[in-house]
Amino acid sequence: MFAMLPVNLKLAVRSLNRNRLRTLLTMLGIIIGVAAVLTMVALGTGARASVEGEVGSAGTNIIFVRAGNYTRGGDAVGIVSGRGAATTLVAGDADAIRAGVSGIKALSPGVALRTFIASGSSRAFTRVQGIDSGFAAIYSWNMSAGRMLDSAAAAPEAVLGANLAATLFGADTDPLGQMIQVRDSAYRVVGVSDGQAEDHADVLFVPWQTLQKSLGQNHLDTITLAAEKAGESSRIASDITNLLRERHGITGTPSAGYLAGQGGVGGVPDDFTVETQAAQALTKGLYTPAAAFALANLPKLDEVTLEEMADTLDRASDTMTALLASIAGVSLIVGGIGIMNIMLVSITERTREIGLRMAAGARSGDVALQFLIEAVTLSMVGGLVGLVLGLVSAQLIGWSLGWPTTVSLGAMALAIGIAASVGLVFGSYPARRAAQLDPIEALRTE
Amino acid sequence: MPVISLQNLKKVYKLGDNTVNALRGVSLDIEEGEFVAITGPSGSGKSTMMHILGCLDRPTEGHYLLNGNDVSNLSRDELADIRNRQIGFVFQGFNLLPRTTAAENVEVPLLYSRPVLPASERRARALEALRAMGLTDRAFHHPSQLSGGQQQRVAIARALVNRPTLILADEPTGNLDTATSIEVMRLLQELREKQKITIVLITHEPDIAAYGTRIIAVRDGIIISDKPNVPRRVSDEPEALPLAAVG
Repeated sequence: MFAMLPVNLKLAVRSLNRNRLRTLLTMLGIIIGVAAVLTMVALGTGARASVEGEVGSAGTNIIFVRAGNYTRGGDAVGIVSGRGAATTLVAGDADAIRAGVSGIKALSPGVALRTFIASGSSRAFTRVQGIDSGFAAIYSWNMSAGRMLDSAAAAPEAVLGANLAATLFGADTDPLGQMIQVRDSAYRVVGVSDGQAEDHADVLFVPWQTLQKSLGQNHLDTITLAAEKAGESSRIASDITNLLRERHGITGTPSAGYLAGQGGVGGVPDDFTVETQAAQALTKGLYTPAAAFALANLPKLDEVTLEEMADTLDRASDTMTALLASIAGVSLIVGGIGIMNIMLVSITERTREIGLRMAAGARSGDVALQFLIEAVTLSMVGGLVGLVLGLVSAQLIGWSLGWPTTVSLGAMALAIGIAASVGLVFGSYPARRAAQLDPIEALRTE
Repeated sequence: MPVISLQNLKKVYKLGDNTVNALRGVSLDIEEGEFVAITGPSGSGKSTMMHILGCLDRPTEGHYLLNGNDVSNLSRDELADIRNRQIGFVFQGFNLLPRTTAAENVEVPLLYSRPVLPASERRARALEALRAMGLTDRAFHHPSQLSGGQQQRVAIARALVNRPTLILADEPTGNLDTATSIEVMRLLQELREKQKITIVLITHEPDIAAYGTRIIAVRDGIIISDKPNVPRRVSDEPEALPLAAVG
């Protein structure tokens, strides 16, 4: 039986090639079904990875203060201050928060840019983040090699994420003591972090003061801090908002909730954003105005723990999975019926051929095998096309939702396996019909 | 030992309420190297005989010994194996697979040989059979690129490729013009004379039956005459053409 596989495969390909349009149309159901299966698996595992990344990052409630705001218009004051564009967040703000807001476990000022970095002949385009030693406590880092940056010294030292270390120096070279060039400054590597949250594995960390100096800027891009107790982030965020509004001379009625500074009615927009980890997780992938709207209407969000957020995201991805699974199921069944139909047509068209093969000594099993292989070939080719389509659509959907999508080899094997089984299941009836033809009748057919 | 031995063979078909006695007790022996022409009008039972002789059908009663083995009650798959090894068919309508080269057409019976033959040997044997039919230069042509006579020669090559003991030719000249028909008959005569292959030819044309060494006439499901015949020679034909000239 297996020895005849190449011959049967050749016959199948030839027969399918003869009616290309018919073959393509027949495969459509399988193509769509397999693409849906693949997209579903990719998004499902992607969403899970995303959630696990958030939950696993620190397990505490982290609060982000960012320069600038969601607002664009600045209707009232004529300021155009997109998020990240403001220069009013300064080191003094960080000190004031540290001194004036209670319940903070750790805090780190932050300066960030994306740029080329180089070490010897290795180059990489990556995020460079200016931080201080508090950063390690916020994200519960352990140093997998060397030590953390020394806050007080503000020396030209650097800590690498694990991936970046591997990219720049390879697995064989010890990164400690190596020099890395960023713009016009050189930094000596003193440590490698095991941090995985927020792509930390790909980031180069340097003292924020040093990076500020190198960039010639006096402001901060972010202040990152961690609350001592989970559940306090609401109060802390609100305290920070009030403190910064006061320091930045912003007046008006703060709106309710931690995302104060949307201005409320008639208020002046803040030139900063305070955001909790939960809020970040929720708004991931949403357009900025939609995110602001969602958060403004969820004043209690900060009381939601990250675990609950994860559950919500999981449920969302479950819904998506269920939807895609039903699309996949329906198209695979319809595709299977299409294959069955076209195989029955093909057998009717080729009755004489079947009769001839039987006269020449083909057993029932030989005839059944020939048509079964043709059906499976049809569905597997459809499966392969669906695989490619699924990879593309998973990438597109993942990209537009801001979800990472992962397509494992196992998922691809599953998709092809499903396609093959559809061919087997729906091809077996026509194959049996062909095998049971009476050779005399078959030879008589015109 | 005769190649074919039919012993009181009967075949009854049930068509709704009617029963048709297609064969009503046929007994006959065919020895190796005979060229038997079975003639009869349509409805005489000659096609039924041909189907049973070809192991495509089983008799309702009686016995059919092929090379001494009783094949009357074999299963579908056992009959398929017998057809594959011992019988070569030549059909009226050629029955070549379209859009498939002559060589691949000739290979078809080899696909179902047990044990399975390697592809290289299948190809070699197909080309050898085509060479014997003078079709070496047509081996990779599709049937649509061949003349009727060439197509029938491909079909004969296919019937011979598995070295059967018996060739069953069912109205092999039905679709051919006279000159080509004569050419095909000459080929069959040559096979018998040179390779001692037993040939059973079913035809309703007395002219074609005349090429056999024995003519059996069938009517209403029984043999009405069974006579040896001095085969008509191709050279007897005034319009006979040399092989090369026959398209």
